[in-house]
Amino acid sequence: MTAETIIQSLASGLLMGLLYGLIAVGLALIFGLMDVVNFAHGEFLMIAMYATFFLFAFFAIDPLLSAPLVAAALFVFGAAVYLLVVRFAVRAKANAGMVQIFSTFGLAIVMRGLAQYFFTPDYRSVTHSWLGGKTISIAGIFLPVPQLVGALVAIAAFVGLYFFINRTDFGRALEATREDAGAVALVGIDKNRVFALGWGLGAALVGLAGAIMATFFYIYPDVGASFALIAYVTVALGGFGSVFGAFAGGLVVGLVEASTALILPPSLKSIGIYAVYLLVVFIRPRGLFGSI
Amino acid sequence: MTALLETKGIWKRFGGLVANSDVSVSVERGEIVGLIGPNGAGKSTLFNLIAGVYSPSQGSIVFDGEDITALPAAERCERGIARTFQVVKSFETMTVIDNVIVGALIRTTIMRAARAKAHEVLEFCGLAARADVPASQLIPSEKRRLEVARALATEPKLLLLDEVLTGLTPIEAQTGVELVRKVRATGVTVLMVEHVMEIVMPLVDRAIVLDLGKVLVEGKPAAVVRDPKVISAYLGDRHAVGA
Amino acid sequence: MDSAFAQRRRRDLVVAAIFAAIAATVPLFVKDVYVQNIMVLTLMYAALSQSWNILSGYCGQISLGHALYFGLGAYTTALLFTKFGVLPWFGMIGGGLISAVIAMALGYPCFRLRGHYFVIATIVIAETALLLFQNWDWAGAALGIDIPVRGDSWLKFQFVRSKLPYFYFALALACVAWLVTWWLEDSKWGYWWRAVKDNPDAAESLGVVVFNSKMGAAAVSAFLTAIGGSFYAQFVSYIDPESVMGFQFSLLMALPAVLGGIGTLWGPVLGAVILIPLTELTRSFIGGSGRGVDLIVYGTLIVLISLARPQGLVGLFSFRRKEAAR
Repeated sequence: MTAETIIQSLASGLLMGLLYGLIAVGLALIFGLMDVVNFAHGEFLMIAMYATFFLFAFFAIDPLLSAPLVAAALFVFGAAVYLLVVRFAVRAKANAGMVQIFSTFGLAIVMRGLAQYFFTPDYRSVTHSWLGGKTISIAGIFLPVPQLVGALVAIAAFVGLYFFINRTDFGRALEATREDAGAVALVGIDKNRVFALGWGLGAALVGLAGAIMATFFYIYPDVGASFALIAYVTVALGGFGSVFGAFAGGLVVGLVEASTALILPPSLKSIGIYAVYLLVVFIRPRGLFGSI
Repeated sequence: MTALLETKGIWKRFGGLVANSDVSVSVERGEIVGLIGPNGAGKSTLFNLIAGVYSPSQGSIVFDGEDITALPAAERCERGIARTFQVVKSFETMTVIDNVIVGALIRTTIMRAARAKAHEVLEFCGLAARADVPASQLIPSEKRRLEVARALATEPKLLLLDEVLTGLTPIEAQTGVELVRKVRATGVTVLMVEHVMEIVMPLVDRAIVLDLGKVLVEGKPAAVVRDPKVISAYLGDRHAVGA
Repeated sequence: MDSAFAQRRRRDLVVAAIFAAIAATVPLFVKDVYVQNIMVLTLMYAALSQSWNILSGYCGQISLGHALYFGLGAYTTALLFTKFGVLPWFGMIGGGLISAVIAMALGYPCFRLRGHYFVIATIVIAETALLLFQNWDWAGAALGIDIPVRGDSWLKFQFVRSKLPYFYFALALACVAWLVTWWLEDSKWGYWWRAVKDNPDAAESLGVVVFNSKMGAAAVSAFLTAIGGSFYAQFVSYIDPESVMGFQFSLLMALPAVLGGIGTLWGPVLGAVILIPLTELTRSFIGGSGRGVDLIVYGTLIVLISLARPQGLVGLFSFRRKEAAR
């Protein structure tokens, strides 16, 4: 193993880490907003990937172009999930914890079942996309173009999110509702609207990630499951509710995964992430940057 | 005869904030003692220190001759300190009697005995008719009484009441006062944090006034109420109150 | 009032005995092997869900990583038998004890975690164990373990000619899990678990050592779950990491309780009786193109129950009205 290989791996891990951060930030946003973990988050990613695939297969729209479309579609989907399901889940008085967990979990199962039923369990892939399969060399390090673009998109998304939350009215409403939903209602802001939009935004972000990932990952009904776990780990690591935490957590997870792959056989590459997660969470239950 | 409860030089700091400074108070057996003071005086902090929710930054707490400073809350209950919560914390998915049985189980593992004890306590607190009702369906004043009933089921020597009389209608408050007197009559010592002066002063044997984390004054209610330092603390001009 | 309560307790016992007796006679009428198979699985999941319910329902610590204990039970039995010739009956106990110990060891760090952190930790731990077993050559790695079956034997707890012995064992296991729950419900443990679930701070103020409470629930739950796992290993006589430690098991152990009534005595049984036959039958009736339909069915059920009736279906039955009050 040369220094070159190591740097290669770590660079690649960093790129993936940014993507993981993008997947996770939606989760962090939703949680920060209303204290609910979206256990269907992986399935949001899955349908984004399928949507990208179908747009490509039937309309020959390259994922890079369809990404905004997919994000928009996921935005609508996310808001719908809030309005039709989650809104009722948070009203539960008895067994509140169970309700929140299983309402979105049940949704995840339904989505996976629907995907299996309609799309079959066959693996799909987006072949011959503009980005797919290409690598680019930067300072002697070979970086796969899809991941690189994905990382750039992720960075752009994080920057955009930062400005959105801190500079726009809606973003501030989001933050305010996060702080105190009751007070916000008194000022005349409709809590349901804010929550629906929050879910939409969270879903759109993971939709963006899904569109990019469709260029270099296989697409199948259960694909969401593995990334979901990485997303939960990323968010829990960074601290639930912290957007910056999701970003930082993503980087950590990406790097840990890459490092683990250098030492252990590929089938065990996730163990590094899990071990780090468990370690952080046991020592610092709120995660690295979390406030809850 | 040694006091039932003694706090010796208690300091509690939360980061840079000093919530209690050098608080030394004692509660004698069979007393009803009121812990009062304006907002932010450090009453809740002291209360929670005695209950075992926090540990003091400095100082010690002695209960019935034993230093309990390092003892966690659950063990303090076993020693005989029971408490209610200001924001009622009933076991919502359980019935009223089941709530009380939870408390009774610290003294007996025989279910029949625990159940009988729970019945007894519910009768005592006037909640017997509501025994099989889920706790979530009680009205606020009943929930307060349930808090007390639950605590009494643990057969405490010292009962800590956290604003049990606040926010009640005059009639409910009077019932509450009667209950506290009944509790003391059974031999339980009571330390109560309260805001509502008109209700608390006729009830307590002694009042301890905290202000800005320190003990300001203590003594018989009638005297405390007239003390100029106390009036100043409640009505204003804190700068006039010396160290 | 006391006697009304005692009456209800006795009635539960009587009803359970009647159900068990009826269930015991069913194989005499139903000879179809496929249906018998469903019945065995239903009973097994009733037992597993009842065990899960102890930690996650009564004590409120929702675990989605119980497949860990199921798998440990399966592997302990299988390994002890294939490598050391230890009879499955002993392997079962061994698996149970190992699982209980591990559950408590994991409890140390995990029980400090709040709600969703705890759930995710349980998922991560089970996944980690899965990965480890997949790479553990001595235990068969990803290929798993094949338990050699040479004819019927109660000693070796394996049967080829008929599924009936498995059925009766599963029935016995379900009864044991139910009885343990019934007994614990009206005990100090049961009351304290529910107190911890509803309000740990208040519980502590009443003398409940919250941590020990959770540990006890975890140990009992893990022990029983592992026995279920051991049973399963003997039932299918081939196990591999994915098939006994996979996340789908963790989910399938939880769902019957959620459907029937989490934290109730009859919930897991009711849920299993509805869910397992339903999923098996939808899977086979809709045939090849039916993949995913079972997921759609029980996913939808779970969403509906969580939103519309979180206390589960068990309250719909009149004689259980007191339970529904909880």
